[in-house]
Amino acid sequence: MGFLEKQTDPTTPMHWRGDMQADYFYPSGIAGDKFFKHIMENDTFLATKCSKCNKVLFPPRLYCEDCFEEIQDSEWIEVPSTGTVRLFTVATINAHGKKLEKPKVIAFIDIDNTDGSLLGIINTNDFNKELHGAKVKAIFKPKGTREGTLKDILYWE
Amino acid sequence: MKEVAVIGAGMTLFRRHLKETGKELSYLATKMAMEDAGIQKDDIDMVVMGSAPDAFDGIHMKGENLIDGSAATGKPYVRVFNGGGTGVFAPIAGWWHVASGVADVCLVVAEEKMGNCYPHPQTAFRHIWDPVLDRPLNPNLLWLFAMEMNRYMTVHNIKKEDIARVAVKNKRNAVGHPCAQLADANITVDDVLNSEIMAWPVQRLDVSPPSDGAAALIFCNKDIVHKFTDDPIYVAGTGWNIDSTMWTNRDLYFPRYVAQAAKMAYKKAGIVNPRKEIDFAEPYDPFDYKELHHMEGLLLCKKGEAADLTREGVTQRDGDMPICPSGGLLGVGNPIAATMGQKVCELYWQLAGKAGKRQIPGDPRVGVGQAWGDIMQMATVMVLRRG
Amino acid sequence: MAEEKKNWPPYAPGTHVRESDIRDKKITYTWWEPEVQYNWSLGHAMSKFVQGLKAGKIVGIHCKRCKRVIVPPRMFCEYCYGPTDEWVDLKDTGVIETFSISYLDADARRIEDPILVGVISIDGASPQHGFMHYFGEMTKDEIKIGMKVKAVWKPENEREGSITDIKYFKPLKGGGD
Repeated sequence: MGFLEKQTDPTTPMHWRGDMQADYFYPSGIAGDKFFKHIMENDTFLATKCSKCNKVLFPPRLYCEDCFEEIQDSEWIEVPSTGTVRLFTVATINAHGKKLEKPKVIAFIDIDNTDGSLLGIINTNDFNKELHGAKVKAIFKPKGTREGTLKDILYWE
Repeated sequence: MKEVAVIGAGMTLFRRHLKETGKELSYLATKMAMEDAGIQKDDIDMVVMGSAPDAFDGIHMKGENLIDGSAATGKPYVRVFNGGGTGVFAPIAGWWHVASGVADVCLVVAEEKMGNCYPHPQTAFRHIWDPVLDRPLNPNLLWLFAMEMNRYMTVHNIKKEDIARVAVKNKRNAVGHPCAQLADANITVDDVLNSEIMAWPVQRLDVSPPSDGAAALIFCNKDIVHKFTDDPIYVAGTGWNIDSTMWTNRDLYFPRYVAQAAKMAYKKAGIVNPRKEIDFAEPYDPFDYKELHHMEGLLLCKKGEAADLTREGVTQRDGDMPICPSGGLLGVGNPIAATMGQKVCELYWQLAGKAGKRQIPGDPRVGVGQAWGDIMQMATVMVLRRG
Repeated sequence: MAEEKKNWPPYAPGTHVRESDIRDKKITYTWWEPEVQYNWSLGHAMSKFVQGLKAGKIVGIHCKRCKRVIVPPRMFCEYCYGPTDEWVDLKDTGVIETFSISYLDADARRIEDPILVGVISIDGASPQHGFMHYFGEMTKDEIKIGMKVKAVWKPENEREGSITDIKYFKPLKGGGD
């Protein structure tokens, strides 16, 4: 009977190989567009302050998700592109499991003067350094080569 | 089971590409629904998100990604999905939350960003086919609809002109809709028949466009509805049903799964003669022939009769049984799950007398909305009733 | 306020962006090309089906409870939910159930010479049991629902155990093979 047969021949086709191809285009959104256009021209960040709960939201957004109030244009503020390392790790393999030529230090950075954080790559050759609490600054690509994406921040130092 | 009422609804613009992210779209629709109902975020007990394949937005687990914009941070939350059926399934899931008594107020949000998939959402649709039986033939999703349309036309001997009338009706109906993507006051049957043949019998103006958009709906328990309105609109019945994936083993001329879902909903609503007891309907119309196909599936007319009713003007907004007074997917747009805006939110707006330029004359009391999804499989039906 | 309520939605929030705005980079966006590969398990039924195709035949399976011969075959019958029974060799002829004449290829690109595609119910299986495939050696004006057709196979050394081992279905002239 079909269901109860055993498969005893290892060469019979048992798998079908394929892929799921599609490319993606992610618009930054109303808030994101404002943020990225700002860092294309400036070396500082923008954040948004919710007038109801007074949280300074970073990355900036259209609305505060806790109060569910829309952020007005007047509530956008400029903040320096500096922060403090809250967590970090040293990655030795890439996303596909292959060994990296040079390890990467990835950190979760609390951005100064805001209640938010950003993920970033720390530029260092010392992979044993204790980075908790370290003060870091964003290093941007040269103006004119920035494209309005997170890659405009080269790394943090 | 508790009685459930609709107290608010909201909807964003529908376009091929919108600047807002998925979260921002969810926020805009939710905010409008909350304004309509007159409630704040804290009044919402639970949230249901309906959104079709992650492959459109390109964000894996996008249900989790969208919670900020859906007033769901810190609340019980679930995402439901069954392809195109999500537009009515998400409200059904919202109804479960309140009917079961676990929530008094439940927000339902539906969002879609098809524009993220490049170069065309068609690319994501390629993966709906079986990888062994279908994909090696390099199929285009339009083929599937074209084959169903052909079968339907042949079995009932229906002419393309009669089917084209649906596209004309809906695109003209959409002129009263602020969110509409393809409203056209002057479109004619000839325009549709002369449009580019894509996969015969499907022509360009027979198809609804892919879109970005979001919609939101708020349900509440009958016991507290007096706080929000004196003239509540209730969920009278819900139904859902799915047929086998093996679509090549079914006769596509009649959607039996739609009839099953409709029977389930009508039984709960106490509807015995749908054609007489239902005042208007919003069947799913991603293609013009689908409106006819689904009218028959919803048991609103005999098999093969839908085209005659359309030709006679019965389904116009001022006809005896208005069909798709919102403008449907053909007129307003097709952001898969967010079509909740036309299929359920519209029922509410019509019954509450809030539909503005789209308002059906007379005193509609009962409306039915339906969505359809997957590979000609899934049917979801909801009946709303005033009072 | 009451008048506003009569027109719902009162406005349509959202910002329309044209293809030209994207091309001209008027808005910022992030581009991503995912690389994802899959190795789908065929399962017993599909394995047997594609082996059959490699050998130049179409294989179905019998469900004795429902008295159906099913193609494409499966390990369990979705109607009675029981295991299916013995394999059945089917003919490679059938009848067109429905079809489309497509002027778009798989990537939605326009083509001059239309592709004829549709569903064929296979002789030997239960009514309306079959699969999708191309049609050939017929024009778009000749193709009809109800037409009898026959499979045109690739030569044996080119078959690899895939639905494409059948090139297309052609009109079956006369009644025989």
